[in-house]
Amino acid sequence: MSNVLVDLSNSMAAAAEKAGASTVTVNARRRMPASGIAFAADLVLTADHTVEREDGISVFLPDKTEVNASLAGRDPGSDLAVLRLEKSVAAPAAPAAGVRIGQLVLALGRPSPDGLEASLGVISALGGPVRTPRGSLERYIRTDTTPYPGFSGGPLADAEGRVAGINTSGFGRGVALTIPADLAWKVAQQLAEHGSIQHGYLGVRSEAVEIAAAVQKALKREQASGLLVISVEKDSPAEAGELMVGDILAAIDGVPVPDHDTLFARLAGDIVGKSVPVEVLRGGQPKTLKIKIGARQ
Amino acid sequence: MNLPVMLDSALDELYARIRPVLAVVRDGRRGAGAGILAGNGLVLTNLHVVRGRHPVEVTLDDDRTYPAKLVASDKRVDLALLEIPVDGGAAAVLSKDSPRTGELVYAFGHPWGQRNVLTGGVLSAVTSVHGQDGEVPILRADVQLAPGNSGGPLLNAAGEVLGLNAMIFGGDQSVAIPAGVVREFLEAARREHVPEGVL
Repeated sequence: MSNVLVDLSNSMAAAAEKAGASTVTVNARRRMPASGIAFAADLVLTADHTVEREDGISVFLPDKTEVNASLAGRDPGSDLAVLRLEKSVAAPAAPAAGVRIGQLVLALGRPSPDGLEASLGVISALGGPVRTPRGSLERYIRTDTTPYPGFSGGPLADAEGRVAGINTSGFGRGVALTIPADLAWKVAQQLAEHGSIQHGYLGVRSEAVEIAAAVQKALKREQASGLLVISVEKDSPAEAGELMVGDILAAIDGVPVPDHDTLFARLAGDIVGKSVPVEVLRGGQPKTLKIKIGARQ
Repeated sequence: MNLPVMLDSALDELYARIRPVLAVVRDGRRGAGAGILAGNGLVLTNLHVVRGRHPVEVTLDDDRTYPAKLVASDKRVDLALLEIPVDGGAAAVLSKDSPRTGELVYAFGHPWGQRNVLTGGVLSAVTSVHGQDGEVPILRADVQLAPGNSGGPLLNAAGEVLGLNAMIFGGDQSVAIPAGVVREFLEAARREHVPEGVL
C-alpha cells in the first residue's frame, strides 16, 4: 500500500534518522545518561543540568563507539553546556532556519547507546524572554512532544531532519522547553571559545513605565513600555555614556526593551565590550547615546 | 485534494481495513482486551488478557460472540493464541519491514471498553527489556493507550501489524511485542500445538 500516509511516515522516519545521526548519548551524571547534539566534528551541545561532573565524561556516538570528552564551557542561565570530544568523529547537525507554530516536529533523544528514541508533536508556542532559575533565556519554543527520560540535550527535529532547537526539562516545574537552534548555536560557539557566557553590565537601576501614545509616535514604533532610569552607578558604563536619571531606556543595540527580562536577555553574550547605540526618551524626545557595555563581575 | 484531506482518506482506508480483523477478548473478569484474527478461527492476543480461570469469549466486528480455546501461549513474550469455531475469515497482515524510529504508528483497540478506538503517534524506540527469562525485544510508541488496548495491534502507516500492544507505562508510552516475535510464536505454535494445515 502506497499512499500519502505512508509517504508522510517514511519522511518522518527519514527525518529522525537524519537528525539522529548527530544525536549522541552524554554520560556526565550518575543517573541515566542524557542526550546531546554534535554541532561540530569535535563539539557536542547538551543541557547544562545533565552535566553533573567535570571529569570522566564520555559520549556514545550513534554507532555505539564511546569517545572521551571534556567540558568546554557551560551557561547555567540558558541550561546549555558544550563538551569537547577527544577525537573529531561526530557528524555535525544542520540547524533549521526558523520555526512556525503548528509545524510537525520530532523530539529525539539517545538516552542509551541502544538506539534513537522519538516523540511526535507540533510547535505549540514561541515565547521569551523568560527568567530561568539561574539566569534568563532570550527566546524559547514550546511543543506538545513527550520529554522521555534522558531526552534533555537532544534535538527537536523538523520534518526534514534539521535541528529546530535543543530540548531541556532543566528549567524546573516539570516544564520541557526547546531552546531555538540559532540561539543555542550562538551560545555554543561562545562556550566553545570562552568557556562561559559573559553578562553585560550597564550600571543603572530602572523601573518599567508606560510610554504615552504621543511619545510612541516620536519613537516611530509601537512600544507600550520602557525602563525609567532611577539611579546611575558611579564609574559605570551608563555614567560614561551620559545616561541620566529620568531617562526612559527604549532600546539597546536596535532591540526595544519594554521590560527587565528583555534588557537582561539583551545584555547577555556577544554584546559585552561593544559600543552600542542606546535609545532613550529624554523629555519626551528620542535621543541615541553610545554606550560601551561592561562585563558584570 | 489538499494534503490533509488526502491524509484523512488514507487514514479512513486504514481504519476500514483493520476493523474486520480486530476482536474483543473477554475472560469473564471485569474489562476486556483486544485480539487480532490470524485466519482460520485463530486469534492472537496477550496472555495476560486471558490468564483468568474463566472461559474465554471472543467477539468479532459483526458482534457475534464465540467461545474460545487457548491453543498456545508463551509467558516470556506475553502472547496467546486462541481458536474460535469460525472457518476462513480475514487475517491481519504482519509487517515484514524493519520498524523505524519516527515512523507513524496507530494503536487499535478497546480502551476502557470503548470499541474500535484508533490512536496515533510515532514509533519511539526499537529496543528490548530484561524479562524474567532474558532479553525480550519490544517496540515503544508515543500513542495513548489504556486498559483494553492489550492484545490489539500497533499498525504502521500501511495498516500492517508492527506489533501487539502489551503493556502501558505511565500512560504516555506504550510497549508492543514486535511482529517478528509474533511470527516466531505463530510458527512455534503451528509446530507444537495446532494441527498441520490450519495456519
